[in-house]
Amino acid sequence: MSSTWRAHFTFNRYSQICARALRQSLKESERVKAEKRGLTALRYQHWEHGEGGEQVYLVPPEDAPKAPAA
Amino acid sequence: MSSLRLLSSAVRRASSTVPLGRRGYAEAADKIKLSLALPHQSIFSSADVVQVNISAATGDMGILANHVASIEPLRPGLVEVIESGNTSKKWFVSGGFATVHPNNKLTINVVEAAPIEDFSPEAVRANLQEAQRVIAGNGSEEDKAEARIEADVYEAIQSALSSK
Repeated sequence: MSSTWRAHFTFNRYSQICARALRQSLKESERVKAEKRGLTALRYQHWEHGEGGEQVYLVPPEDAPKAPAA
Repeated sequence: MSSLRLLSSAVRRASSTVPLGRRGYAEAADKIKLSLALPHQSIFSSADVVQVNISAATGDMGILANHVASIEPLRPGLVEVIESGNTSKKWFVSGGFATVHPNNKLTINVVEAAPIEDFSPEAVRANLQEAQRVIAGNGSEEDKAEARIEADVYEAIQSALSSK
C-alpha cells in the first residue's frame, strides 16, 4: 500500500523511519532508553590525492558544531 | 559423471537412515531453534521453541519445526513466540527479515522491537494524529511519504495492542 516511499527513500532509510516510529510509541521510561539508539553521530570525509575534504555530518547536529581539527 | 551418481546414491542412502519424525497436529514435539536478534540486543539465541508467528510482507505466517527454507521480509507487526504449552510472548517489531534455514533453524533479524507491554496507547494515538496531519498538510512529497510510513507503523501498533 505504501510502496510509494520507494520513489523517495532507500530500504535502509525506510527501516530507520519504522524503527524511529516504534521508539516514539513506547512508554516514557522505555522511550528514554530507546531514543539513544536512534542517535547517529557519524561524520565522513572524502579524501583525494592525499588531501582530506570537508568533514560532513551525516545528521547535522541541532546546535552549532565544534569546528573539526584540520 | 560416475562420481555424481555415487554422490546422489550416497545421499539417498543417508536419508533413508534418518528416522522419519511423526508430526501430529495436536502436539508438536519437535521444536525449532529460534534466534531473534536486534542490533543492540539478542532476545533469543538458538532457543528451542514450538511455534513462531510472524507478519511477513506476503502475509501472516506461523513457523513450526522443519519448516521449508525461506526468507521473508517482515512488515511492522507482531512476532509471537510460543515456547511450550499455551504461553506465548509477543514483541512488536519495526521490520526486518525472517530466515528459515534448511536445518530447522529460524533467524529473525529486526531493527527495533519491544515487548507489547512496553507500548503506550496514548503515545501511539497522538503520534498517529500527528502523522495524519502531515499527510493531509502541504509539506514536501518526501515529508508526506515519511509520515505515511510512520502512520502505517502506528496503525499496526494499534491493531497489535487491540488484538492482545
